[in-house]
Amino acid sequence: MNREAIINLVKDWRVALLLVLVIGSLAGIYLTPPDLQKGLEGNLQFGLDLQGGSWLQMEFQSVIVAYSTDKPVGDLVDNLQKSLEADVIQIDQNHLEIRKSVSRADLEPLFAASGAKIVGYQEGVSSFTADEVKRILNDKVNALGMQDARINLLTPTGSEYPQYVRIELAGVDMETAQEIVGKQGMFEIRIQTTGNETEHVLFGDQITSVGVPQRDPEYQTWGVGFALTEAGAQAFREAALKQGAVDNPGAHHLVMLLDNKTVYSAPLAGDLAAQLRSGPVRSLSATTGTGDAGLDDAMTLEIHLRAGALPVKVDVVGSGSVPAALGEHFKTTVVLAGLLALLTVGVVVYYRYREPLIVLPMLAINLAEIIILLGIARFIQQLDLAAIAGLIAVVGTGIDQLVIITDEVLHEGRVPSQNLYMKRYGRALGIIAVSAATVFIAMLPLALMDLSTLRGFAIITMLGVLIGILVTRPAYGKVIMAILSK
Amino acid sequence: MEFARYDINKYSPRQMVALPLVLLLLAGILLGYTTLTTGLPLKPGIDFVGGTAVTAFTSDSRETIEATFSGYPLLSVGEGIGGGKYIQFGPMDDARYQSLVALINEKYPDAKVDQIGETFGKTLQSQAFLALLFSFIGMSIVVLIAFRNLVPAGAVVLAAFADIAVTAAIMQVIGIPLSLGTTAALLMLIGYSVDSDILLTTRLLKRKGKLDEKLAGAFRTGIIMTTTTLAAIAAMWVVSTAGQVQIISEIASVLLIGLFVDMMNTWMLNAGILKEYILRGGKK
Repeated sequence: MNREAIINLVKDWRVALLLVLVIGSLAGIYLTPPDLQKGLEGNLQFGLDLQGGSWLQMEFQSVIVAYSTDKPVGDLVDNLQKSLEADVIQIDQNHLEIRKSVSRADLEPLFAASGAKIVGYQEGVSSFTADEVKRILNDKVNALGMQDARINLLTPTGSEYPQYVRIELAGVDMETAQEIVGKQGMFEIRIQTTGNETEHVLFGDQITSVGVPQRDPEYQTWGVGFALTEAGAQAFREAALKQGAVDNPGAHHLVMLLDNKTVYSAPLAGDLAAQLRSGPVRSLSATTGTGDAGLDDAMTLEIHLRAGALPVKVDVVGSGSVPAALGEHFKTTVVLAGLLALLTVGVVVYYRYREPLIVLPMLAINLAEIIILLGIARFIQQLDLAAIAGLIAVVGTGIDQLVIITDEVLHEGRVPSQNLYMKRYGRALGIIAVSAATVFIAMLPLALMDLSTLRGFAIITMLGVLIGILVTRPAYGKVIMAILSK
Repeated sequence: MEFARYDINKYSPRQMVALPLVLLLLAGILLGYTTLTTGLPLKPGIDFVGGTAVTAFTSDSRETIEATFSGYPLLSVGEGIGGGKYIQFGPMDDARYQSLVALINEKYPDAKVDQIGETFGKTLQSQAFLALLFSFIGMSIVVLIAFRNLVPAGAVVLAAFADIAVTAAIMQVIGIPLSLGTTAALLMLIGYSVDSDILLTTRLLKRKGKLDEKLAGAFRTGIIMTTTTLAAIAAMWVVSTAGQVQIISEIASVLLIGLFVDMMNTWMLNAGILKEYILRGGKK
């Protein structure tokens, strides 16, 4: 092929697009930001199984119930809380979140007793609670200075509510991962005596439950309610009386500490002081302030009150860990598998066409496809073992479709005229488009399902099909025509 | 290639569809029987019933490993190259599991350990079933829209269905369990299978020329297509099986079986139905 033909070829938009994307992908992988130490891996993101680390998948022990009642909802919630010994939270007009794993059959009589009816029942938590769990886990992980942590809420297909939370910690072994998730801070309430001095009142173990931020209808201030054990309430009252906080609340702040750091400090409220005078109070509320700032503070305070404990009990339903050394071994293995796949495919097509001018462009286009795929994946999808299986599968389908184009164009062994060529080329693309659409549709459910650990596989396969039909196949058609009509 | 020289026009449509249909029937009986006796069409793997999988590199023999873990619900010990071992355990309670993990950490500190709880496995099972169902329905719709003609589209869908059913039956016979990986491979098979079916249908229905020549031409292209895919998947299978990369090895083995099954279903079942359809003058 002469110079002019090459220039003409590169000027064709299909070929130009392919080249631009390949260069862009290489830049994305190696230059944004440049990192020579990582060598060939560049900025590709790897999954746990190639990188080493641990994952835990936990199920929320909670159900969401849709109900109908013509009695006050407050009574229903109170009754449920008492008989289930669990937190019950109203999440909207007609849904309750019951923070305990309890069957619908067990709930029916309890609802009936309060004059209510169960309309719908699903396992899981409200998105509000789920986000809170995520926030708490994030805080814990960040507090330990861990860089590479992924925390995802998972909603099974067919359900509206998150039911699982999955945490992936790179470079951490199983034991440490479990410790991080299970670890609770030390929470303490102290009372101001004189000046900067404070005295111990109670520890976090005396707190039986913590509510969600609520706004006081009268003062518009946000606050978080929490309940104490009987002993805790007694200790609280004694401390307040002893220090004279009941008589002079302003001079005796209540201070809350988490791991010895002050997280909240405020005087006793006037009406609480009056109540404490007559007896112990088990339900307390810590107010933070008005407006969005008040709400933010209340949300933080709630987490602190729980001292790192999650608002909902979680059970570990799946877990795993990969040592970094094994991850490296897997990496080498899959690179080898990929190269060998490309090579054998090359041998097979060479055996069929016996013409390097056809086989080399085929392999080059295939390689370009893989580079573009990796270039896009670098931004949207971490590469785990399953995703790499997808990548190799793409090599297989990719070559398939180049064979369709080649055979369609070369029909009857002769290189056709320009007109006939375009017609056949269009027909080949038609076949490819239909088969691409089916692969795409077949993989779609897997890509959309939260629970599948094979999302990577599906997403890479779908991406590969898209890049194939939009970029690399059209470009191949042009290249092969230029070569054959020389 | 010997395959490509095989004369696809030698047989009548009736002869062509006989073998695939008999195999589909046998597969149906096998899968139906398994469903009736166990509740599932295939023997489920750890992903779907819960359990623990361990990948370790060790010079210990299979017997040593079996002895080491005799106190636990050991299911199987698989061996790869270079001392790679893949050890599977059934579901166990938390205390047992913790002691197992401690034992693994002591014996094989560099092992990959994955554990799935029993109920979570059930959830994964139903999700995988949904995925398979949606995929198949989606594929059928695409094929129907593409051909806008019931017989050819139906033949493609039937061939894809036969691919999945026969592949699943072979998995059951040779003992490849149904896991997340193999489910994904079955889904992928839907895509692969339709590839060659569409080539065949388009060539026969949309090209001008003699039926025999078109069929032979489509066959040549189709076989080379499937062979290249087979080559890529075979390479993936060899390397991942030798290197103990369980999930890729599983996906690859199902795809390998599936591609062979697909050759039969495309060039006998689908081609047979189409040939009969065209001979009866269904072609516009």
